[in-house]
Amino acid sequence: MTTTAAPPIPQPTVESAPFWEAVAKGELRIQRCARDGDFFFPPASRCPRDWSTEWTWEKLSGRGTIRSFVVFQRSYHPAFREALPYAVAIVELEEGARLVTRLIDIAVTDVRVGMPVAVAFTEVAEGTTLPLFRPSR
Amino acid sequence: MTDPERARRLRDRYAIVGIGQSAIGKVPGSSALSLLVDAMANAVEDAGLRKEDVDGIVSRGPDEAYTHHQLIGQRLGIDAEFSTTLDNGGASQILSVALAVMAIDAGLCDVVVCGYGRDSWSRTHRSEAKRESVSLVPEEQAAKEFGPEFGLFGATAMHAFGARRHMALYGTTQEQMGAVALAFREHAMRNPSAYIRDPLTMEQYLTARRIVEPFGLLDCSVPVDAAGAVVVTSMERAKTLRHRPTAITGFGTFNNLRGWYADDHMTTTAACKSGQKAYAMAGLGPKDIGAVQLYDCFTYMVLAQLEDYGFCAKGEGGPFAASGALRMDGALPANTSGGQLSEGHVEGMLQILEAVRQVRGDLPRERQAPRSDAVLVSGHGGHTVCHSSLILTRA
Repeated sequence: MTTTAAPPIPQPTVESAPFWEAVAKGELRIQRCARDGDFFFPPASRCPRDWSTEWTWEKLSGRGTIRSFVVFQRSYHPAFREALPYAVAIVELEEGARLVTRLIDIAVTDVRVGMPVAVAFTEVAEGTTLPLFRPSR
Repeated sequence: MTDPERARRLRDRYAIVGIGQSAIGKVPGSSALSLLVDAMANAVEDAGLRKEDVDGIVSRGPDEAYTHHQLIGQRLGIDAEFSTTLDNGGASQILSVALAVMAIDAGLCDVVVCGYGRDSWSRTHRSEAKRESVSLVPEEQAAKEFGPEFGLFGATAMHAFGARRHMALYGTTQEQMGAVALAFREHAMRNPSAYIRDPLTMEQYLTARRIVEPFGLLDCSVPVDAAGAVVVTSMERAKTLRHRPTAITGFGTFNNLRGWYADDHMTTTAACKSGQKAYAMAGLGPKDIGAVQLYDCFTYMVLAQLEDYGFCAKGEGGPFAASGALRMDGALPANTSGGQLSEGHVEGMLQILEAVRQVRGDLPRERQAPRSDAVLVSGHGGHTVCHSSLILTRA
């Protein structure tokens, strides 16, 4: 088996396309309801809290904390075999939304729930940038 | 909370009168449908009923097919008054029983066969790529963003997020999760049809191959080819049939549809509200339950549900399991056929069958829980957010 398998590339929907367009420019943007001020994620056509269709794509600080994380020790996809073991986390952003991401620049044994992290835009394949996260002080 | 008065009206008015299962394990030459048809035929036979008596079919749809209930009816040669497939993940099996009760109560049908079958072992061993992905989700239904691009794959990781947070919040340990795996294995060793029946030590549990930490291999349920089915009818009719009826005393559902990551859903699951509804319909509480069959896709889910159902305080699931409570001679014998962790994972279907066996009370002595007049069963699934609860009692 080859170890140079292509990584899964995000396939945006009509609703999520602006998220990925922002990421490509090195910005983390999610929707914020114009009526109740809530940040919401994943991308949607209405604010899930008040069903408002008025929202904006707000730029975030990119800072948050680790709400939980797991460490992959087993490969589920050929593109990630070389990366094992790697940590995948749910990050709670300062603005309140929770995102899945992969952690970089830290040994998997050093990751802790509650640890502060910051976004690190990383080109994982030609033309594909992902909002990975790394520890911050 | 919905109106408990309305739910109470259904208490003990319907019963499970037949149970059946297929072969369990590696079953070459089988399909999800052929296994399910075997289990359903066995359940109808166990009830002492004939094919002509069955006028309802409720099944969860399989992962990859449409109109499943129609295929079942065609194979069984039954035109049904009421027939449907439903979609609630691992919570579907109890939901099928609940829907059967509702359909009979509404006068739509009289005798419903409910079941689920899956050829999980065969499907995860068909090719090297399948063995690696171990995914039963059809490619076109798999997540295409906010997951795989970060290396996030599979149900193991989703539940491991919950386990990790529970460990961080409450000090839950690997050994406490191991106590779940060990207790259920002891039960599987006494069940001749369980797929995994080898003795298991804590040392073996702790040193098993790591999968997605904090889970190792023995935190994960066992994929098998297997099916189970039950027959539901009215209590009046049940009293005329072969077995002492197993009363459907309470059921409840709840769905944390806003997601596994939302609120505290990873550590206080939908079992909480689903259980409250089942208790309210049954007029029972945790102290009345003699044994449980909890949805054990992963060890951690048992700990969370023990707390959510009120068998111990939030955060105390680990110490409760480690005390030996889940063993046959413990305070709350759990997953007495070996559970999905050892008997085999059929999305909770086999746990309903085991609850009926316990309530009937005719198991060999070493498999019979000391108090089995009221048994609670749980179902959990979808994208880890759907939950159903069922309380069965000796009529």
